[in-house]
This record gives sequence, structure tokens and C-alpha cells, in this order.
Amino acid sequence: MIASLVLLGLALPATQAQTGAVRLAITRDEGWLNPYTYQTGFPGWNIMTLVYDTLYYPDANNEPIPWLVRDTRVSIDGRTWTLTLRPNLRWHDGRPLTSDDVKFTFEYAAKVAHSRWTPTTRNLEGVDAPNPQTVVFRLKQPDAGFRLRTLADVPVLPRHIWESVTTVAAARAFRNTVGSGPYRVEEVQDNQFYRLVATPQYFAGPVKVRELVLPIVRDATVSFTALQAGQIDATSRVLTPELVAQFEKTQGLKVARGAGFASTILQFNLEHPLLRDVRLRRAIANAINTNLMVRLLMLGYAVVGSPGYLHPDSPFYAQGLRFEASKARAVTILNEAGYTDRNSDGIREAPDGTPLQFTVLTLAGNPIRIRGAELIRTWLKDVGIGLTIRVAEDAAIIDQVWPDFDVCKGRRFDMSMFGWSAPVMTRPTALVDLFHSNCQRGTINIGGYKNPEVDRLGEQLVVTVDLARQKQIASQMQQIIARDLPIHVLFYQDTIMAYRPSAYDKWVFQKGQGYVTKLSFVDPPK
Amino acid sequence: MARFFAGKGVQYALVLLFAVTLNFLLPRMMPGSPLVFLVGEDVGFMSADQRAQLIHAFGLDQPLWRQYVIYLAGLARADLGHSFQQGRPVLEIILGRVGWTVLLVGISLLLATLIGITWGTAAAWRRGRRLDLGSLGAAMLLESMPSFWLAMIFIAVFAAGLRWFPVFGAMTPGAGLRGWPQMVNVAWHLTLPLATLTIITIPGMFLIMRYSMLSVLGEQYIATARSKGLAERGVMFRHAMRNALLPVATVFMLNLGYVVSGATVVETVFSYPGVGRLLFEAVLARDYPVLQGTFFVLTVSVITANIGADLLYPLIDPRVRHAR
Repeated sequence: MIASLVLLGLALPATQAQTGAVRLAITRDEGWLNPYTYQTGFPGWNIMTLVYDTLYYPDANNEPIPWLVRDTRVSIDGRTWTLTLRPNLRWHDGRPLTSDDVKFTFEYAAKVAHSRWTPTTRNLEGVDAPNPQTVVFRLKQPDAGFRLRTLADVPVLPRHIWESVTTVAAARAFRNTVGSGPYRVEEVQDNQFYRLVATPQYFAGPVKVRELVLPIVRDATVSFTALQAGQIDATSRVLTPELVAQFEKTQGLKVARGAGFASTILQFNLEHPLLRDVRLRRAIANAINTNLMVRLLMLGYAVVGSPGYLHPDSPFYAQGLRFEASKARAVTILNEAGYTDRNSDGIREAPDGTPLQFTVLTLAGNPIRIRGAELIRTWLKDVGIGLTIRVAEDAAIIDQVWPDFDVCKGRRFDMSMFGWSAPVMTRPTALVDLFHSNCQRGTINIGGYKNPEVDRLGEQLVVTVDLARQKQIASQMQQIIARDLPIHVLFYQDTIMAYRPSAYDKWVFQKGQGYVTKLSFVDPPK
Repeated sequence: MARFFAGKGVQYALVLLFAVTLNFLLPRMMPGSPLVFLVGEDVGFMSADQRAQLIHAFGLDQPLWRQYVIYLAGLARADLGHSFQQGRPVLEIILGRVGWTVLLVGISLLLATLIGITWGTAAAWRRGRRLDLGSLGAAMLLESMPSFWLAMIFIAVFAAGLRWFPVFGAMTPGAGLRGWPQMVNVAWHLTLPLATLTIITIPGMFLIMRYSMLSVLGEQYIATARSKGLAERGVMFRHAMRNALLPVATVFMLNLGYVVSGATVVETVFSYPGVGRLLFEAVLARDYPVLQGTFFVLTVSVITANIGADLLYPLIDPRVRHAR
């Protein structure tokens, strides 16, 4: 006991001053901020993990690092993970956090459905807690994404509090926010703001900001204006390109820039009678000048898409893979494939006479995608392909592209402007989720892409634990994807975020995702 | 009289039932599934049976008529259900918002009505002269101004530029104010949304009042009053304006019903926590219970306002009293 107190004393540099309060605007209501009520993947999950801890946590490079865990041993077959928890972990109410809580959490997630936690339990054979410090995960199959997707993602719940909450409806209405994280939820004003207060004795070390106020600001323009006017100190929103130069010049504001892992893609329906022809998809991709698109739409604040989906800064990116568009090549491909304009109306026809006329869906609330669709329409018109743009709101697009969020239910569209959020880029199994032909495995393969070789590699990838081997398989998959072009990756918007350094200047920029991370407020445990 | 009210009662009950049915059907006719808001964004990664289990847990797999019966039975118990998105009771959510909305929309309606009446009277009194024509032009201009645009201009000038007022919200987040300082803080936050909403409501009131005044001014009793040698001011306010108020009173009463529905656009731009923004977010989220609940409260308040108008009319218009 005395020894641990001395150690703690050494770990706390006495001079480190704690910042008073920081106001960080978020985009929408996040319920009671517990694991069953928070709403958005970003920034909701990130904020929720200020209140709850995970066993691992993604670091600034999205590599999972041990958090609640001190020591991890993996069996040779990759199926048994033995984790030792750090000593003296406590819930906000003072009770000790033990392996029993960890075991409870995963059994709870298996029983009480949640879109993010429940799927992580599918590969679990069981979780054991042989003693309060040790937890053993038994997996059905080795899992490439186990560290990042499960250990660094699922927040540990206090058993003594959640035990009595047994249904989905009850869990979603549950207001308790006792966690083990660096912050306690002090005040929730419905649809106005949250107030989080640092816990005095956090196991990982001192919490750098005493109080975090999170106002909900729905409108993007308003939240940037509030930042300029000094009403908030930071915002979870990424700056729109046209504001970057202005904010960089604004006194009292600092702009942090880095790669962005959210993608903007042109999604093809691979079951469409014409679009199933790879030559046509290749011609379309060649007609789209993504370099110019990045300059016109994003004012250069984006990276041109890689045809294998993964961002060049991703650790799994197939080195050297890129797509060079060429209008002349587009024309050649179309001519050689027999798509010619037989009735001289400016639109080519397929050999059976069907005109190459398509509809592209795009999101009403996203002007960048609408303008992107307009550019694509112009460029496709140049090579004799007709495009109609249909703007619709989110739910209406999902209804056509991804009915009930279940790719097994098929699809009713030609093309759609689409995009995936940053976490899809960081998980090693993303390529399997995106491209496996089995709708139970390729859960976000919304275009209905099928390639047995990709399936085979994907099945190999998900059970590969060795990182080097993972990269090798991922690279092979990207080469095939780049040939088949089931989607055309247009660009990845840079993550550009602004803040007031006078209020707080110790933000940690998580690659591809931005500064709303636990690491901005507390250093990783040593 | 009793028969009159019985008849009215049946009429209102039918309107209510019709509205309730429509409230139930309309959200369900919109394309899209509420599933993502039930369980979060990663719903795509769930297995099909996990999804099915959820749909079942929330009763979304039941035939429409059963959902309807459950909904009606709930209403009868004053139970508006639980929000899909937030898991909280809908009534609790609406009650938490309605105060802010009544504050914003109620005060703006009162202000706009008072200003509209005064302005309309003044303009009609000087018909065809500079004040009247200028006012008419100004009213047209204000009328055609989109509220979000006006709101953005106000934010740019008075909040971001001069920094006299806050950019967003109903009170300073996390300030923990109580009592008098809190009221001042709320009033300070209310100013810009209130000004926006009032300014866009005034022209309607002005135009009705002006037109109504003009037709009253053509009446013979005005000529009589004038020929009796009454002072212009007296004729204008006692004889003309009081009679010209009737249509404005009607519009006011009808608008009163919408006070609880909020002002979606203004509330959204200013991130004001009112019912209008709740409605907007519920539409985006396909949050059926919140949509139904909000529309229900709105329907009830519009009908109540109508009943109020029915009851009030005989008091302010003797002609209605005699006709009965």
C-alpha cells in the first residue's frame, strides 16, 4: 500500500497545471453518454470513452495500446487471450473494477443487442475470470481485428449497476453513467449541453482539463462562427475547405491538419445489368478527373482516392497502388467494348440498344457530394454517358442503397455518392466487410460485389493475427479490387480542425480522425 | 347552446381522430428505417437475426393495424411511448422542450401582433401617402425574407461581428447560473432568435390589420363619428381600430395553437432546444414515437386554440352573439 502511494506520488509531476474548463462543441444529442445511449460513432464514441474505459485504446496512429490492461498473453493458435488488469482500478462510485466486470460486459453485449458491441461477441466462445485481476478470452477462431475492434472498442460496464437492466429498451433508457474513465458526467441538459468533470484520482495519471463543457451545435456554420466569436474553444466538426485559409489567418485560432480516413466514393450497383461490366466501370472511372475534383471541390484539402479503397497513410495500404484517370482511355475502352452512340443523341448505347443512362443518388445535406456528382455528370457526358442526379435525404438513400442496413436484402440503385467513416479505414478487416460476397461477412458490401479470389483472401485475412502477413494479404486484395473497381474511390477529405490555443493547447491529433480522443485529456498509462 | 357545444364537441373529436390517424400513418409512409437510430450507426455489422430480434423488441414487425391499436391504447392512457433515438418517454422529452418554445414563439407572436396592429393602423390611416406606401414595400420585403437567411445575417452581425449576443443556445452551457443571473442569461440568448421570428411574423399581421382597417374606414359609422366632430385620434382608435381587430384576433388565436409546435428553422439555426428542432430531428431519425407525440400535442393545441376562438368570438364580436 505504502509502496503504491510512493509510486503514485512519483508519477504525478507536481508542477503540471490543470486547465480549468474547455468548451468543445459536438454535433448532436448523445443520450445519457453511456455505452447504450450514446448516438454517433464520431464524436459520440470518443466522448463516451472519456467516461468509460476500454481494455485497450487506439493511440495517435490508431494502433491499440493497453489501457486497463497491464499484460497480455496470446496462445500460439491465437484463440486464447489472457489479460491481466492493472491494479487499483475503480469505478466512479469507489467500487473496484475487476475481471468479473469485464466478463459481465461481454456476456451482456451478447445478450442485450447493440450494433457496435454485440457483433464483437460473435466470435467469442467464452470469457473467464479466474481471479479478480485476470480475464481470459476464448475465441472460436483467431481474429485479426481482436485488439482494435474488440479490446480497444468495447467499454467495460460496471456489473453491480448494469446487472438489473436486462432488455434493450431498458438499456437504452438507462441513465446511469458510472464508469471508470477520466471524466464523470456532471450535468446533462437535453439537447443543449453536457458537463463532464475530471475524476480526482484517475489511474492513468492526472487529467489535463478539469471541466469539459460540450454544447450541442447542430448547424455547421453556426459552430464555426461560435468558434471564431470565442463562444466555444473547439469543435468536433472538420473544417470545410473554404474556411481553412480564413481560420488559419484568424487571430487566436490554431488549425490542426492531417490525413483524413473518411472516404468519398462513387458506389456502383454490381447487379445492374450494365454496370456489372467491369469495362464500363473502368471507363467511368477513367472519365472522372479526381485530381481536378480534389482541387475544385476540396481546394486541395484532400488526398486523391486509391483504387484499393485504403488511404495511402493506412498501415495496410498496398504500396504504389494508384489510379490514373484518362478521358482518352475511357473513350477507347467504351469503343472497344461496343458501347457506341448508334442514334447520335450524344448518349452511347450498349450492343443490345440500351442507352448508357444512369441515376446517381446523393445526400441532400452534403453540398460537397452534390457538387461532386455534378462534376461527374459533366465528365461522363463528355464520353457519352448520361447521368441524372437525384438528391435525397439520408434515410431515403439508405432505403435504396442499403435497405434496412442489411446487404442480404439487395439494392435498388444505379450509382450513389457514398462514403465510409474513419473507423472503417483503420480496422484491418475493413476490406472483408467491404468486399466479401457473402452478405453475412461482407456486411457493408452494399454494391453486391462478388469475386471468389477476394473471398478466399478475406477469409484468410480475418483469422491472421500476424501483422506482416495481414498487410501482405490486404495488399493482394487491394490489387484485385483495383482491377475490378466495384467502387470508385474519389478522395479522402483531410481532417482539419480548429481550436483556441488560449483555452487549451494540448490536443492530441489522432491520425485520420482528429483531436476528439481520450489522449487529448490524459496521457496513456505507463 | 348545449346542442351547439355538443355538435362542436363531436366535430372536434372527429378532427382529432383523423389527425391522430394521419400522425400514425405519415411517418411510416416515409422511406427509410429507424433501425440505425435504435441501435446506432454500426447496425450494418449486426447479423440478420440480431437485427430481427431488435425489430421485434420494438414492435416494428407487428402488422400496421396492431401498431395502431397499441398506439391508440397508449394515447388513452396519456402514454406517448418512448423515443427510438433517446429511449426516453416522449412526453418527458416534449415537456422539456415546450417551455423554451412557448417562451420564444409565444413572446414573438405577442410582439409581432402588437407591432403589426399599430403599424397596420397607422398605415391605413394614411392610406396612399408616403408612410403607407413605404410600409407596404417594407412589409413585402420582410415577408419574402427567408428566416434562416435573416437568422444568419443576425448571427454574422450581432453575434460574430459586434459580439453583443451569443451565437447559439438558450443559455450559457455549464455556467451553472441560478435565479436572476440565469434569467438575464436566458433573455440574452433569446434576443436574436426572438428578433428573427418576430420580424418575419410582423408583415402578416401588418397586412391583415391594414386591409381590415381600410375596409372599416369605408364604413358609414366612421363618417358618422367624424361628422359628429370627434377627434381623429378617437375615431381611429375607439371606432375604427377596435372593429378592425377582429380578423387579427382570429389569426392570433390560430397562431396561438402553433406556439407549441415551435419554429423549426429558427430553432435549428440558433441551436435552440425547442419543439421545432425536436420535430426536425425526429423526422431525420425516423423516430416514430417522437413524431407522433409531437404532432399529437400540436393537434391538441391547435384544436384547443380553435375552441378558444369559438368561445372568445361572441365576447369580442356582438354580431356573432346575436346570430345564434
